[in-house]
Amino acid sequence: MKVIECTDLAKSYFGKKVLNNLSFSIEENKITGLIGRNGVGKTTLLKIIAGFIKETSGEIKVFSERPFNSLNVSANSIFVDDQMSFPPALQLYELLEAASSFYPNWDMELAKRLFDYFSFDPKGYHNRLSKGKTSTFNAIVGLASHSPITIFDEPTTGMDASVRKDFYRALLKDYIAHPRTIIISSHHVDEIENLLEDVLLLKDGRNHLHLPMEELKAWAIGLKGPTEKIQEWVNDKEIVYENKIGTNTSYVVVRNDFADSALQSARLAGLEITAVSPSDLCVYITNQTKGGIDDVFKER
Amino acid sequence: MSLKNVNLTEVVKRQYFFKLKANIDAMSSLVFLQLLAMLFSMGGSNSFHSSYDQVALEVSYFSGDVIIGFTMIWAFVTAITITTRQYRNHDFSFVTNRLSSSLSNILFLLTASIIGGITAILARNLLLVFKYIFSEEQIYGIPLTFQDLLLGVSATIIYLFAVSAIGYLIGALVQISKAFVVLIPVLFIGMLFIDGVMNRDPFIAYVFEFYVMESSFGLFFVKMVSTAALFFIASISILNRLEVRR
Repeated sequence: MKVIECTDLAKSYFGKKVLNNLSFSIEENKITGLIGRNGVGKTTLLKIIAGFIKETSGEIKVFSERPFNSLNVSANSIFVDDQMSFPPALQLYELLEAASSFYPNWDMELAKRLFDYFSFDPKGYHNRLSKGKTSTFNAIVGLASHSPITIFDEPTTGMDASVRKDFYRALLKDYIAHPRTIIISSHHVDEIENLLEDVLLLKDGRNHLHLPMEELKAWAIGLKGPTEKIQEWVNDKEIVYENKIGTNTSYVVVRNDFADSALQSARLAGLEITAVSPSDLCVYITNQTKGGIDDVFKER
Repeated sequence: MSLKNVNLTEVVKRQYFFKLKANIDAMSSLVFLQLLAMLFSMGGSNSFHSSYDQVALEVSYFSGDVIIGFTMIWAFVTAITITTRQYRNHDFSFVTNRLSSSLSNILFLLTASIIGGITAILARNLLLVFKYIFSEEQIYGIPLTFQDLLLGVSATIIYLFAVSAIGYLIGALVQISKAFVVLIPVLFIGMLFIDGVMNRDPFIAYVFEFYVMESSFGLFFVKMVSTAALFFIASISILNRLEVRR
């Protein structure tokens, strides 16, 4: 079953297009990673799915309903980020109780256990928490809500390395026990690549790639060797990334549509063939500019 | 995870109880304001002095008007406050849509008006008790029957609810555009000026006459509550289109 369907979705702020003809659909009970560079419209897309903001044009259906002002979508989804705001008058423990009265699938035992594990003070206040603690508390609310659609928008902002690891592990364990649709947007692809089943890659406000993680891992290969030979091999291929190492050596990432025999002969010709990690690949694909940061400082 | 359907009434009810807890600060500011108003009223709202030969006469009037006035300002400010972005975001951390958020806000404002109305009238009586105990002057008062008290409380509650409806609408307008922060006072004061220049009774006087001078309680009730309802409906339809957390 498709829980999120989106056709030709567009959103503009003050005349500037953030999302542009975005079409995709997300299946039930999958963990999808939403990947893209800063300002590409990840948060905008997630907020439209959560019903916080309106689409400018196109169509978005969540549980076959338009999410904006839908009570059913709100009851069955949660949007977690570091900007979640709670009334300053309520203590953390009261906030958990309030959440449990609102979310129909709320798991209070899980919430309490996580709350204790991350050593929160039940009588503390949300607005007095540090950045990392705020993110952790919000993530607890997100996990314990057991919402059929759980959206994490950069959930690990400010968390330290060990809490981040714990969070991903908790997410995976709880997902296995209670499968549901989870969307995570993050810049740390390497941290979540083992968690994700699908990857949705945004570029220029559009759906650039939407494919299972396994396919993404094999989507491209890296070739390294003398520049001339490399040119020969890749001249009719889709080049994702190109880098010169020294004077005469090149490293090129290309779409992996080589036949096995072709790879074999490339290897024999002295080219080094490597797999490209999903996190590097995402960076290469979503790069908006040719060249790198070094070019900024060149010939000044 | 299976989908759960929720209905509007259930969500509004939960939000209402949630807001009673979350907006507890409004209640503490009510207590503070009413104490302050009592302090101001201690000196009497109106007094005159006359002397003849050896006799000097000084009369001061005491009333709960200042307390009720302060409570009205409180209701107005509270209504504006809960339309602000921050308060709307609180709702959207949990289950809500814009309609349920407004409906629970209105229920909260009604509750606040009831609490404000009862405490304002009681504070007036407390003021008289203070005067009676601590002052050496003679106190005269029109005897207050239970019926009068009930009438006073209900009228105050209706006033407060109407004032909060105005506040809620202004708050909603400001949420569309910050220009209304300037526009509304300019319009209001500008109207007084124009009426002054044109040498006619200010428009606000007619409004005052229509609502406040009404001598039949039934008619007063109908006028005030239906106007408040209109204001709230306007606010709901404005807030229904607003995006949150953008």
